[in-house]
Amino acid sequence: MLWVILRRLRDLVVVLFVVGTVLFFLLRSIPGDPATVLLGTKASPEQLERLRQDLGLTGPLYEQYLHWLGNVLTGDFGTSIKYNLPVLQMIFDNITPTLTLAVVSTVISFLLTVLIVTWVTVAPHNRVARLVSRAAQFGLALPEFWLALLAVYLFALTFGWFPPSGYTPLFADPATAITQLTLPVAVLVIGQTAFLTITMEESVLGELTQLYLRTARAKGVGERRIMLRHVLPNSMLPVLTSVGLNFASLIGGVVVIESIFVIPGLGTTLLGAVYARDFPLIQGGVMFIAFLFVLVNLLVDLAYALIDPKVRVS
Amino acid sequence: MTADLVTAPPAPVPARIRSFARRNPTLVVTGGLLVAITLLVLVLPPFLPDPDAADPVNRLLSPSAEHLMGTDKYGRDLFARWASAGRISIGMTLLITVCAVTLGTSIGLVAGYFARAGTVIMRIVDAWMAFPSIILAIVFAVVVGPGMMSELLAVTIIFTPYTARIIRSRVLGLTTRTYVKAARVSGMGPWKTLAVHILPNTLPLAVVQCVLLSAGAMLIDGSLSFLGLGISPPTATWGNMVADGRTYLQGHPTMVLFPGLTIALFVFLLNLTGSALRAFVDPRARMLLDQQRRQRRSRR
Repeated sequence: MLWVILRRLRDLVVVLFVVGTVLFFLLRSIPGDPATVLLGTKASPEQLERLRQDLGLTGPLYEQYLHWLGNVLTGDFGTSIKYNLPVLQMIFDNITPTLTLAVVSTVISFLLTVLIVTWVTVAPHNRVARLVSRAAQFGLALPEFWLALLAVYLFALTFGWFPPSGYTPLFADPATAITQLTLPVAVLVIGQTAFLTITMEESVLGELTQLYLRTARAKGVGERRIMLRHVLPNSMLPVLTSVGLNFASLIGGVVVIESIFVIPGLGTTLLGAVYARDFPLIQGGVMFIAFLFVLVNLLVDLAYALIDPKVRVS
Repeated sequence: MTADLVTAPPAPVPARIRSFARRNPTLVVTGGLLVAITLLVLVLPPFLPDPDAADPVNRLLSPSAEHLMGTDKYGRDLFARWASAGRISIGMTLLITVCAVTLGTSIGLVAGYFARAGTVIMRIVDAWMAFPSIILAIVFAVVVGPGMMSELLAVTIIFTPYTARIIRSRVLGLTTRTYVKAARVSGMGPWKTLAVHILPNTLPLAVVQCVLLSAGAMLIDGSLSFLGLGISPPTATWGNMVADGRTYLQGHPTMVLFPGLTIALFVFLLNLTGSALRAFVDPRARMLLDQQRRQRRSRR
């Protein structure tokens, strides 16, 4: 178990190093002088020189790279050009809404998926249950940005049940926060549940061919008990892996949702950074997302070990 | 003479098509609808008003017989824009998919056939698969400027590993086949073996990948043009049409409804076609699936 964690930590360092390095050279490969691009042609030579100094743009490329690497290793990701704040601080200021959306929607989707698939597996005759699992195919095809706008139109503009946009920290004012979060979370949940439901149904199908089922039936275990005790718990593991792998597309969804519901999260910050050509902020933000991805998959591995004794032994 | 007795004359084409349709109803219906939408989008524009022609008198009209989807803030006919956007969105989806599948198949072939290089390649592929495409598109939007090129680069890079993985596992299975060994023993070089014996056997899988990936490509294309990171106005895409309609959501929800619904429908059809095609191409998977279905049914 310790090995798994150590290996993952090594991977984490490698991924961050590679992502950081590639980004560094990609962003430096943009034609033209970033300082001129940022300050415009009217800036004085002294201003340009100072900005180049600040950005670490003086000296040959390898020197710039080593300089940047040294800074990163000491925890200095640079200063945002647009906001003139340390990048790391900006990320931490904006991470809460993003994490809230991602975590809340993932937890709800996971529970919902287990419920739906359990229902379909235990009561295969139930028409409604089968309809719900069929609907997953359609849910997978819905673009988030469109679904979000439809939800805003119906539930915010027409019925007025929820506010069309806005964000309040969850612990500052729970009541307002929950009404504001309902629509964004619901949109994310629909897409994710559709994906997870299909994954889990496939995994249930695979589990149904296993021979231990015959043993269980032979010794007289009831059909319902076989499903609940044997098939479903075993089919849940691939779903857990999918949660980890789906993190990438979840982040994509969160960026879109943040932009629609005007939520001041990491996605909004990054999009703003693109329009402002705020290189240090982009570099830091993207590296942070890579970091999150590896972290999520480490957590999935740990959860695996908790749930499945087979993993713990090997 | 005997040859005449053994080989029955091929069935006439219509009959063959009919029997194919009877065996694969989903494939024919969903594939047919996809082709129909694509043809519609290709054929219609010459008969419609100019999608970029502004008409300030008829601004923000609701759908009517004259303007099937209404008009936008400049009075441009939204149905004409929908059709020309379809050309761009479908074209972009195809372009991304073909690039990703070609690249992925090449990587998969090499990684599957040359064992040692393969392990290294797959490690890299796994790492780059992990990256959120929207984030990568953000990076490329900064590097090459937001637009078609940044979108193509970002989404191709993200989608390539999926194909590479699947093709590689297929190639790994093929290299142990006797005819591949025979080719090698008889002195055929590795590249020629790959081209003659292995590549043709991976093509059906690559085609299935094309269809399944294009569903994802269309969704991401939509999101990116919606966020202004893909192809941007005045060129219409289904994604940026939704973004345009966003401002008028309250009074003119159809501006958002139609283009988004088209994306949803198209992606849905692509997903169904892809699954049906996979079952058609891979008889073993189909057999397994049938068997499982039968077992399931017997339980009911």
